[in-house]
Amino acid sequence: MKKITWSGLLCLSILISSCSFFEQDNYAAPDVTLEGEVVDVLTGDRVLTDQGSEGIRVRLTELSWGDNVEPNPDFYCMQDGSFRNSKLFAGNYHITVDGPFIPLLRKDASGKELADESLVMDLSGSQKVKFEVQPFLRVEWVGEPTVQNGKVTAKVKVTRAVTPADFKAKVEPMGNYTDDLLQVTDVQFFVSYSSTVGYRARDERWSSELIYAGSTFEPLLGQTITLVSKEEIPEGRTVFVRAAARINFDTPTGTGTRRWNYNQAKEVLIK
Amino acid sequence: MKRLLIILALAGTASLHSCVDLDITPKNIVTDNDLLNTPAGMDIYLARVYSMMPFEDFKYMGEWGFEYNGWLNSIGIEGTGEAVNRDGITTSFRGERTPYWGRAFETIRDANHIIENLPNYKDAFSEELYNHYLGEAYYIRATVFYTMAKRFGGVPLVTTLIQYPGTAEEMEVPRASEEETWDQVLTDFDQAASLLMPKSPKKGYANKFVALAFKSEAMLYAGSVAKYNQTVSGRLTGLGRKTGVRVIGFADDTWQDASKRYFTEAYKAAREVMKDGGYALYKKKWSATDKEAQYQNMVDMFSDLSSTENIYVKEYINPTSTHAFDAYNLPFTFRAPLSSGTCPTLDFIELFDGFDRYPDGSIRVTTGDNNASGNYIMYDSAADFFKNAEPRLRAYVIFPDDQFRGKQMEIRGGIYTGETPIKPLFSNYSYNSADTRYQNLDIYSKAPKSLYLSPREGNRQEIVDYNGNPMTAAGAEGPFYDNAEATNTGLYLRKWLNPSPNAEPGEGKSSQPFVLMRYAEVLLNAAEAAVELQLAGAATPDGSNLLQVASDAVNEIRERAGATKLTGTITADVTGRNIVRKERRKELAFEHKAKWDIRRWRVNHYEGRDGFWGENRDKNKFSNNENYRFRGIYPFFSTEEGKYFYDARFQWIASKTFGYTPVDYYWEIPGGEVAKSEVIDQQPNR
Repeated sequence: MKKITWSGLLCLSILISSCSFFEQDNYAAPDVTLEGEVVDVLTGDRVLTDQGSEGIRVRLTELSWGDNVEPNPDFYCMQDGSFRNSKLFAGNYHITVDGPFIPLLRKDASGKELADESLVMDLSGSQKVKFEVQPFLRVEWVGEPTVQNGKVTAKVKVTRAVTPADFKAKVEPMGNYTDDLLQVTDVQFFVSYSSTVGYRARDERWSSELIYAGSTFEPLLGQTITLVSKEEIPEGRTVFVRAAARINFDTPTGTGTRRWNYNQAKEVLIK
Repeated sequence: MKRLLIILALAGTASLHSCVDLDITPKNIVTDNDLLNTPAGMDIYLARVYSMMPFEDFKYMGEWGFEYNGWLNSIGIEGTGEAVNRDGITTSFRGERTPYWGRAFETIRDANHIIENLPNYKDAFSEELYNHYLGEAYYIRATVFYTMAKRFGGVPLVTTLIQYPGTAEEMEVPRASEEETWDQVLTDFDQAASLLMPKSPKKGYANKFVALAFKSEAMLYAGSVAKYNQTVSGRLTGLGRKTGVRVIGFADDTWQDASKRYFTEAYKAAREVMKDGGYALYKKKWSATDKEAQYQNMVDMFSDLSSTENIYVKEYINPTSTHAFDAYNLPFTFRAPLSSGTCPTLDFIELFDGFDRYPDGSIRVTTGDNNASGNYIMYDSAADFFKNAEPRLRAYVIFPDDQFRGKQMEIRGGIYTGETPIKPLFSNYSYNSADTRYQNLDIYSKAPKSLYLSPREGNRQEIVDYNGNPMTAAGAEGPFYDNAEATNTGLYLRKWLNPSPNAEPGEGKSSQPFVLMRYAEVLLNAAEAAVELQLAGAATPDGSNLLQVASDAVNEIRERAGATKLTGTITADVTGRNIVRKERRKELAFEHKAKWDIRRWRVNHYEGRDGFWGENRDKNKFSNNENYRFRGIYPFFSTEEGKYFYDARFQWIASKTFGYTPVDYYWEIPGGEVAKSEVIDQQPNR
């Protein structure tokens, strides 16, 4: 009986084995590292963003596969405007970023390509890339945030980082242009326990927003705007605050996602 | 001996040869000759095609797509606001687990096969029947194209039988533009309507008015998309990367004409059903003066197969073809094996007549200006709160203390033992504080305790002594804060559920029919198309007074529902349009219609969300700039007064949030289909 069992098991193990059992996987692990940053072409400063699908999207398309390729899964910049992917296969890539700046890849209404400032390059080893873009807005702190009764008050200044003329020159050929696209629609004040504060990591109890209809923000450009958080933050806690503003233009066009330009996060002690 | 054997063997082998070719049709393969030349054969052919039709009924789940099984079936939980439940299937309608793509083309092929091959058997049928079968094929194709178009925009228009195997050029069909796709839907529905018989030759078959009714629904979708795409930031249109075809949205110079054309077709089709179809609203038990009769009438109409309102019905038969809607959606004490899969929300019942309101239009529960101020209004019984509620609402939703299957539904959130008058339990009812729940309140968790709640049923119920009698904190039907298998919102669904106390419990025991198309929708299609045409300044397609038709349709439905009728005629503005939209939200709730309506109105993403409910409601009350959520209405018992009060709070049990962005108005084409084809485009905005 025992013999039958054993021989049965032996037969089974022979049956289910195959030659590839003894071979090593013949494909090398992805070992290419791509590091990049997105900077303002005028100042050289990084374009700050939020780490999430409302931030700066990085899209890689591996052209080595031929014409009919789909992009790799998208990933997003870190909040300081840089990105890093250390698990790429070597190959020829089209690299593009979409965010709160003039689109790199621009097409007209009939789908004809007007310009493509994306990078097309061979990737191998470890590589660094830099995208110089024209952000829509610049958000800057004015002084330090203050705390009173558990509420944070901060002052910011919003200016255009791209002139309306420049914007029009590049966006108008894409079709359906109106001057409304340039209007600043809202200024957000994000508050969170996390240093990665932003749209995705905001605490809804405290974060606030100022909404501007039509062109009402126009006279406020370059002026100091006061932002106050909502409700009371418990005493003794440390929170991080950040402001962001956006214009009435979605990127990439057709997604309906209007992305914000951010300023640097600040740490605030509630006392 | 041996030699003899060999010779015999050789002779035997040789004699087995024959010179006749084996060129006869195998008897065990069914061919066109067997199927397409008798009505019985056509029955078999069409029955198989019909079994794979994309019907959204008891065997369809928004989150999962067409998987043709009824597992966990719930209705209205796809972020429509009609209902919520405890599971992950309660999520926005942003795509389907099984995308309707590959299977769609199989069904289209089945339809094309009839269109191309039935003419060979024309003589086998009477002309009327022959035309009807052809009409069925067009109707099937129209339905499939329509089902795909509302999901993806432009799709490959396969209108011929593609020979397989073949070259890539012969077999690959790129996506057509969205406008061409809707035009194809229109053509196919028109073909179907002109060929089909006015009355179905057999139960379950389509007919002329089925095609027209669905045509009006489809054209309403097309017209709305053409028009309301323009309201979305970025205009929601784009050209395919591989083909340069406008696979989603409409061109800047065609959308207005297209929208008017589609609304006109929707109106014409609906009017034809109204004039010649012979359908009428179901009013068997209805009485103008008796609210109880109006309620009972609307409960009965969904299971009455002889209803004059039914245009197209998916029937089930016990025990061979059944579903399990009861098993997943009955109130908690009827659990078999699950329960309360569809919990209607407070936001939904706010659409209906018969409640006291705050100045902003929301349902009143306190004496103040909103539900965070004033004192709670006390009711002698939990049912008193609903005593003036619209009969239609009562037919759709089970209220606390109402009757179901001969049993009183004891729904109670908890017991309050503090002094009266009672101030609102929470200091803050805003969206941001939705995650603070009753069990987090100090009056529940700390001494002295004045609020009693139950984590679970049975011996986990907290007991309060009331006038010497023990009383459980939560009702027998919940809600229980640690067991989301009872109601999550304080309400249960009544519509579609078998009301008989003798119904056999369990999965696969239900056989109620699902009404896929009924006359009330045709009236509402006509009304909406009429208002949209008037808004666009288009001429009336048939000489009728558009706004009068719209007003009459709404009034007819309101009268049957026991709702307050319009005081004047509907006006050609957004207010008038919203009257029709809101009526649609109410009448067609829990019928897999609302999730398409909020999609075609483009009111699901944040910027458009004010219009989410068909009427205008401030989105910031139920949404932040990303997600949205819905509220329940929870009855509490006050031992001091022996009365009930209600609290309006965001979903307390198994709290769900929903998200939606403009990208979701056109779903992703399955990645594999795009990757393997040289011509199939992904959505340009993805």
